[in-house]
Parts: sequence; C-alpha cells; structure tokens
Amino acid sequence: MYKIFLCFRYLTRKGIVLFPVLAVWLCVMMLIIVNSIMTGFVNRVRDAGRSLMGDVVIQSDSMAGFPYYRQIQKQLALLPQIKASTPVISGYGLFNLPEFQVNTGVQVMGVEADSESKVSSFGSSLFWQYKAPMQAVQDLRGVGFPASRKKLLAYAQKRLLAAAKVEHARQQAFADLKPVSSHAWFASIRQHWQVIAHEDYQQAVYKENRADRDLRMVQALPNRSFVNAAALRKAMVPLAPTFVPPPQAANRYMTASDEPKSGCVIGVDLGLYKRDRFGHYHRPPGVRFSPVIITMVPVTIKATLAQPQSRRFVIVDDSRTRVYAVDSKTVYIPFHVAQKMAFMQQQDLLDGGVRPGRCSEIQVLVRHDSSEVNILAARKAIAHVVHQLELLHPQMEIAGIRVRTWDQVQAEYIRAVDNERNMITFLLGLMSLVVVIVIFLIFYMLVRDKTRDIGIIKAIGGSEEGLGVIFILYGMLISSAGAILGLFTGVWFVRNDNWIHDHILWRIFGISIWNRKIYVFSKIPDQIDPHAVMWIVIFAILAGLLGALIPAIIAARQDPVEALRYE
Amino acid sequence: MNNVQSNTDSSAPKPLLELNNINKTFRLGPADVRVLTGAGLTVYEGEFVALVGASGSGKSTLLHIAGALESADEGSVMFQGQDLSRMSRRSRHRLRNHSFGFVFQLYHLLPELSVLENVLLPAMVCAPWYKACIRARPGKRRALELLEQLGLKDRLRHRPSQLSGGERQRVAIARALINEPALVLADEPTGNLDPKTGQTILDVLRGLHKGSGQSILLVTHDVNIAAQADRVVTLRDGKIVDSTPSVS
Ligand SMILES: Nc1ncnc2c1ncn2[C@@H]1O[C@H](COP(=O)(O)OP(=O)(O)OP(=O)(O)O)[C@@H](O)[C@H]1O
Ligand SMILES: [Mg+2]
Repeated sequence: MYKIFLCFRYLTRKGIVLFPVLAVWLCVMMLIIVNSIMTGFVNRVRDAGRSLMGDVVIQSDSMAGFPYYRQIQKQLALLPQIKASTPVISGYGLFNLPEFQVNTGVQVMGVEADSESKVSSFGSSLFWQYKAPMQAVQDLRGVGFPASRKKLLAYAQKRLLAAAKVEHARQQAFADLKPVSSHAWFASIRQHWQVIAHEDYQQAVYKENRADRDLRMVQALPNRSFVNAAALRKAMVPLAPTFVPPPQAANRYMTASDEPKSGCVIGVDLGLYKRDRFGHYHRPPGVRFSPVIITMVPVTIKATLAQPQSRRFVIVDDSRTRVYAVDSKTVYIPFHVAQKMAFMQQQDLLDGGVRPGRCSEIQVLVRHDSSEVNILAARKAIAHVVHQLELLHPQMEIAGIRVRTWDQVQAEYIRAVDNERNMITFLLGLMSLVVVIVIFLIFYMLVRDKTRDIGIIKAIGGSEEGLGVIFILYGMLISSAGAILGLFTGVWFVRNDNWIHDHILWRIFGISIWNRKIYVFSKIPDQIDPHAVMWIVIFAILAGLLGALIPAIIAARQDPVEALRYE
Repeated sequence: MNNVQSNTDSSAPKPLLELNNINKTFRLGPADVRVLTGAGLTVYEGEFVALVGASGSGKSTLLHIAGALESADEGSVMFQGQDLSRMSRRSRHRLRNHSFGFVFQLYHLLPELSVLENVLLPAMVCAPWYKACIRARPGKRRALELLEQLGLKDRLRHRPSQLSGGERQRVAIARALINEPALVLADEPTGNLDPKTGQTILDVLRGLHKGSGQSILLVTHDVNIAAQADRVVTLRDGKIVDSTPSVS
C-alpha cells in the first residue's frame, strides 16, 4: 500500500509531473477530436448515401433498363424480410428554367413519390413538403398547447414582428459601421467586423423570412384546436409527398392551360439558391412554381438514341439529400412521366404482342433493423427472386441485372473516406509516441532524482518489485490523469465544435475552417464514437506505462547501498 | 567458545546477531579494495554495542552486511539463529522491515513526505494495499507515541526540510522504531550534528536501551559517544581487533 501512497505523494508534490500530464492531455484531446470528426464525417457520408437508395438496389447495366419490374416488386412483397420497394427511372436530360435563364445538364430521376419516400429519404428531403412545416412546428413550440388556430396565428405574428425588429436593428448596425479607411492599422480587423455585422444582418433576414414562412403555414391551417406539437405536425406535414402542384401554384400563371400539368422537384444545390456561411439556403421568391422545360434523350433497347423528349413542368419543391453530387445534378419527376420520356413504358407491338414497361432500378428497404447481416441476407433473397424471373424471361438477362446492397454500391467512395480516417488517426497516434518519450525522459530524471529515496525505501524493507510498481503506477497515474482531462476536454470540444468554430474561431479570430458554403454538411460532425474514445484512453494509459517501464526497472535494480551513498 | 556453552544457560544473554569471518572486497577495475578480511562480531539481545574505527575502515560496510543491505563475499551472518544468506529475498525484505531499524548519518528522510508519513512508511510497507485508503493508517498510534516521546508532537505535518538536523535525526529514529525492530543499526547518527545535539540523540538511544532493553549496534568514530555503550568493538585492517566492555 505504501506504493499507492508514495505515488500520490510524488504526484501531488512534484511540479514536474505537470509536463507529462499536459502532454498526455493534449494528445488524448487531439486524438478524440480528430477521430470523432472524421468518424462523424464517414458516418454521415454513409448515412446520406444509404438514405438515397434504401438498403438493396436492383440495377441494370443497360441504360435502357430492365423489364418485369412490377413482377419483381410483387415477388419481393411476398418476402418476409422486405418492407417496401420502389422503381426508379434514371436518365440524362437538359434542364431549362426560362425565367431565370438557367440551362444545365441534369440527371433526371423518375420516382413514385409516395413509395419512394417509404424506401429512401426522398420524402424528408423535400423542403416545402417536409422541412419547412417541421421548422414551423419547431418554431411554434413555445405557443403553449392546446392551441387554436387563432392563438397560433397571434403567436406567429408576434414572432415575425420580433424578427423584423431584430432585422431592422442589425441592418442599422451594419449601416452605422464606419467605412474602413485604408491607412488605419487595424483596417483588416475592421473589415472583419463589417463582414460579421453583415452576416448578423443576413441571419436576421433569414430568421425573418422563416418567421414569415411559419406565419403562412399557420394561415393555411384548418380552423381547429391542436392538442400538442405532434398534432400540429400532423396537420402541417402532408401524409405523402407528391408532385402534384398545390392550388396556389396557379397564381403564377395567366391561364390554366399555361400551367404545366405535372410538377418536378429540383436538387437544392442545382445553383438556384445561395447558401450562407451557416449553411442556410436562401430561396429567392419566384423559383418555386416557376415553369421548367426538361428534355430527355431516350435510349432504345438496341442502345441507339431516339428522338429527344421535352416537357414542361412546374417546380413544386426542392430536395436536399446532403450528398452534394446528387443535390447539384438531380431533378425528380413523376415515375410514369419519366418512363414515357425515356421510352420505357409498355408498348403494343405491331405483331400484336406487348413490350413490357421497364425501369432503371428498384430500390428495396429491408424490414426490421438494418444490420449488415440482415441486409446481406435480404440481398441474397432478392437476387434469388431476380434470378428466378430471369429464367422465366430470357430477355431480362440481356439487361445485366445486378443486385447490390447500398454499401456495395458506394463501396469505393466510402472506402476512400474510411481509409483517410484510419490513416489520420494512425499518423496522429504515431505522433503520440512523443508522449511516451516525454514520459520516459521525465521519469528517467525522476528516478535519478529519487535515487537516495529508492535506497531508503529498500533499507526499510521495500522490495525490488515494490519499487518497480511505484514508478509504473506513477506513470499510469500521470497518463490516467492526462487521459481523463483529455477525455473530458476532447468530448466537450467535439460536442461544442460548431459553437467554438462559429463564435471563437470565426467571430474573434476570423478563421473559418468549416465553410458551409462548400461542405455538404452544414454542421461539423459532433458525434463521439465511444468505442474509439475508449481505445484512445486505454492507449494513452498504456503509453504512460511504456514510458515509465525502463525507469521503473532501473529503480527496481538500484543497489540500496549505492543509492544511500548517493548525494 | 564459552559463548556456546553459556547458551544452554537460560540466564546468559542470547546472541542476536552473529557475524563470522566476514570478507568483503570491492572491485574497482584493476585495483581491488579489500575492506573486510575475516571480521567477526556478536551482538547479544538487549546489548548496546558501539563499533569504532578509522574512517574508511569498513564500519558502514559491516553494518550494511549486518543489516542485509549488502551481502558478504565470504562468511556468514546469523540473525536470531538464521543464516541470512540462506534466506529468500522476500524474507530478507521482511527482516529489514520488521527486525532492523536503520538510522543514518544523513537522516535519509523522504523530502516529499511529512514527518508523520516518514515515520509511518515502514509500517505501511508491510501493510496490505487495501489499507491505503483507510484514514487510520497502520501504526499511526505508535507513531504518534514515538514522536511525542521524541518531542516532535507538534511537528507532525512539517516536511523534513523544515526541521533542524537534530529533529530530523529524531524523526529517523522514530521511523527506525515504528515496527519494533529487534536491532537498531545506527550509522554515525551523531556524525552530522554538533556535540550537544549529538549527545541528545545518543541520550534518546540510551534511553531506549535502558527503558525497553532495545538492542543497538552503533557505528561512530567519536570516542566519547562510544564510551557510553555497553561494549565497544574496534574495526582495524578489516578485522574486529578489540572488544572491551565500556567503562560506564
Ligand atoms: N561501492 C563501493 N565501491 C568501491 N569501494 C567502496 C564501495 N563502498 C565502500 N567502498 C570502500 O570501502 C571502504 C570502506 O568504506 P565504509 O563506508 O565502510 O567506511 P567507513 O568505515 O564507514 O568510513 P567512514 O567512517 O568515513 O564512514 C572505503 O575505502 C570505501 O572507499
Ligand atoms: Mg561510514
């Protein structure tokens, strides 16, 4: 027990131990931060990718797609482990927004809005049909339930008024800033202040717009009372997403015949919206409900190009999947329309036969949880179903149908990100060997310094092992102290990284590492991976042990008489 | 030889420590330093023996060998009838902890520990680890008694650096006595002190010897100090050459 006691005494009465504690602390903190942010990043890429396509995807190598998708779907519905499936048409097209002079090549996705949103996150990626009402519910939480429409209206109006006031004040504050004169030595600082004041103003505008939107949503509510937020959400968020333009879209057109029959959903990063530093999208009025012309170039079964097909649509919504590659290039239109435009619909042949309709892929959602084993098993079952149908219909085989899990579809991309994370963690871990060296050096000094004490302890009956244990324990105590400090500060840092970034790094120092304008994700990942953190802490404590090992052996083997003679 | 005979006599003193024909040579490269060449010494239970000799004659070395801190090249060390060289390492540690109490010229207190903690350390060495967290540390009562006896009652929380030499040596004595050792081994405990303080330290040791019959082996080269022991033995040329009962 004297070992523990002596360790504590050495720990509390020797100032030098602060250095290894500090070294371990910083290393552990750094590793936790880097690992958590990288892991969060990988996970988000994964989740985003997965929410795009469900759990398993049946795809054709051919651009002309594959037939008998309804049969496949029917068979899948019989499988117990399948929850839902949805066909998708994908093809290339041109996107033309005449009123905004936008002309760009896009990927056209033909989806069945309601079944698609059961399989993928399509429904919840929509702004007007999902995110905006969800935001409204969030904003109106403070009203106090149960609330009548009237009460909600009053509350929303109050909020809008307050937001308008703030907006006005911020605008004033920005206008009041003195212009930067070039000779002022702190011109760049003043410039930074201006940028920040402008940002504050922009944020106030955003909040005001949002409050305005909330108010409109409340106005559209039926005149009844809502028991709680959930009831309000039910009333605000449509049951199923749709491409059908809402009645107010007609206001945008002179005559009813002017208005395109079907709606489309645009990717949020298509370039029509501006995104600010905080990741908020600023939707200019007028984009919604404006007409667009989408042109698709069908590919025949014989892989030749057919006559391009153009159609008018009305923009009813925008979608944000959080995968930039998707959001910046995709336009969604109703499945049956896309099918016709791509020449994939069922056709009556001249000889009286029927050419079955085709689709590009079927996305499948697995029932229960989505563990890897589950999904792989489901993939097998689905592949079997597809194979059986292929035996029945030889023409399917030509399409080269592949059944893959979401993980397999995006394996390469994810593996790259994953590797990157492991590499960085490994490199930083390697750098943390410095900690071992620091502990070693300081312990070596300490053992030198304590030579006489070692002799004394041996003279009063302390054994070799006892002395070794003292120093090893001491090393572990030091690294544990550092590790615990690192653990808490690291976790705190990760939990608050967005706040630290925005309020300290950016506001005070003008450093912006995470620019939401560029990044796919509007927030820095702040999820802790407890498993990784545990290992980091264990390794830190082991590092202390490793560093203390040789000095501890030296101490244990010290000859007591020599140690006592040591002055 | 009459020692062996008198052993059967119950009233005769029993030998506590027997050093027989001790040889010790330090090898320093080519030149060997032959420090002890057949030194023999017996300390009886309850005896206060002073070991004198010129500086460098090997007194400390002999004391270290007697206290199992160092091993002899040749010869045997018997403590309470047991041969130290035949003992396991563990029992030697136990012996140092339980049966010997060392007092050094340079006090050798641990600077990070308070007076009380220094005194308690030997008691803690032999206590099981789980007692570390209990407030009443093993031997605390005895430590307080000893420190009170030695007049250090109100210096318990002080660090060694805050004490004078004489006080430090008294703390060292308290530490040596905490486990009630059979034999106190003191290596010039007064060597670093002025004569007056040195005398008070010696008085403490003598008091222990008189009061509870503590056996003491004291190394000194101060004749006045040596004279106050029961017996004075002299080390010269690596041998004990002279063993005379003290006058007092
Ligand atoms: N580890 C060692 N290596 C080499 N020589 C040593 C060692 N330890 C002691 N000696 C030598 O052995 C001799 C005896 O030393 P020791 O310390 O026993 O003498 P001492 O009688 O205690 O002297 P003093 O009265 O000065 O303390 C000295 O000459 C010393 O130089
Ligand atoms: Mg000496």
